[in-house]
Amino acid sequence: MTTAPFFTVNGTSVDLSPVPGSERLLDTLRWRLGLKGTKEGCRTGDCGACTVLVDRASVLSCLTLAHEVAGSEVTTIEGLAAEDVGARIVQSFADEGASQCGYCTPGFVMALASLLHERGAAGDLAEFEEDLQGNLCRCTGYVSIRRASQRAREAVR
Amino acid sequence: MAPFDLVHPRSTDEALAELRAASPERVAVLAGGTDLLLDIDRARIAPHRVVSLRYLPWKFLEWSGDSLTIGSTLPLRALEVEPRVRQRIPGLWEAVRAVGSVALRHRATLGGNLVRSAPASDLSPILLALDAEVEVVGPQGSRWTPVDAFLSASRRPRLSFGELVRAVRIPEARPSAYHWQRVRPVNDISQVGVAVARSPSEGYYRIAVGDVLPRPVRILPAEEALRSRPPTDDEVRSAAELVGKLSPFATDRRGTEEYRRHIVAVLARRALLAIRTAAPRGPAP
Repeated sequence: MTTAPFFTVNGTSVDLSPVPGSERLLDTLRWRLGLKGTKEGCRTGDCGACTVLVDRASVLSCLTLAHEVAGSEVTTIEGLAAEDVGARIVQSFADEGASQCGYCTPGFVMALASLLHERGAAGDLAEFEEDLQGNLCRCTGYVSIRRASQRAREAVR
Repeated sequence: MAPFDLVHPRSTDEALAELRAASPERVAVLAGGTDLLLDIDRARIAPHRVVSLRYLPWKFLEWSGDSLTIGSTLPLRALEVEPRVRQRIPGLWEAVRAVGSVALRHRATLGGNLVRSAPASDLSPILLALDAEVEVVGPQGSRWTPVDAFLSASRRPRLSFGELVRAVRIPEARPSAYHWQRVRPVNDISQVGVAVARSPSEGYYRIAVGDVLPRPVRILPAEEALRSRPPTDDEVRSAAELVGKLSPFATDRRGTEEYRRHIVAVLARRALLAIRTAAPRGPAP
């Protein structure tokens, strides 16, 4: 191995040497690093609750091995609000009341951050909303989440 | 989940050597992992060693005139956001969009999808309709094989132990479409998927269906029903009916055979009408 086994999480370097090869990023974040903002939902890639950013792109941390993202920058909900786009999304969710039980919220916020990082407010609104369908919410009926997402999109314009 | 050793070869030779060093039932190959890790989690397989392809230089996308070669470990999302894929091979773009969610497509790969060979793959039908070819590398070097010959049985492609898929080539950009039906639009497995493509150089049509056993297939009599250039409404209707009649559907927990036969005919007709008069889009890069 020429790449040192570490990644950064929210800007802090994390040594992956003690992490077994078979450990998922989700478990490393929640149980090794205590970052419980990232949720475990289905653990099968269906619900989006465990979404985090790896090099600013959304990934499902339940289907990603920690060592597969060695050398990358991982951002979780705990670190997202420190950046401009993240702060705007969080504010939009608060303004629209787009959260009830809150379990899906971190995943939605991360998925949205990835899209806004990728293309800002450019592109088709219908496609943008399709791109958020990978996250499930069982409380809100999605109306407030759609409003919050559009508000965040407008805010980065 | 049963623990395993994860290894990261740095070259094709190293990767092939890692495979040879283990026994077939104890080693697994990891591309994006979005399907493999589910199988390991559910104890369907229990590898002792997992060989990651992460550091192999296979995350490429290369146009050569009208032909596109896609590295096997390129994340699907990279294919999706390449504007020329959407313009020039719209059926491939639609099929890629049908896989999981954006976050899943940031990791999932075309090579992984082919090698894992799920009968309900959303990508196999469009690759069949585009006459795609698969590059297999192994101890004897590299060979190209048509997707039709690569796909074999459910979860078992024609890939010998010790071989890897390096790339997929689409020989010709084609007007094409992929239509599917599911209970939920995203993160669900299709009940029916049908891909169609028309060769702009030769004029012939390809029609392939997924969610059939033991593997996605072309429906040749339906293709042959499209005789005129462009096909008449009657020919399109007949072809769609043949797709419904001849697709090797079965009843399972996602849908009945009867339902699938009905829906696939509807989708095949729509897909054919969508490409019947479509001009090849976009200039050759």
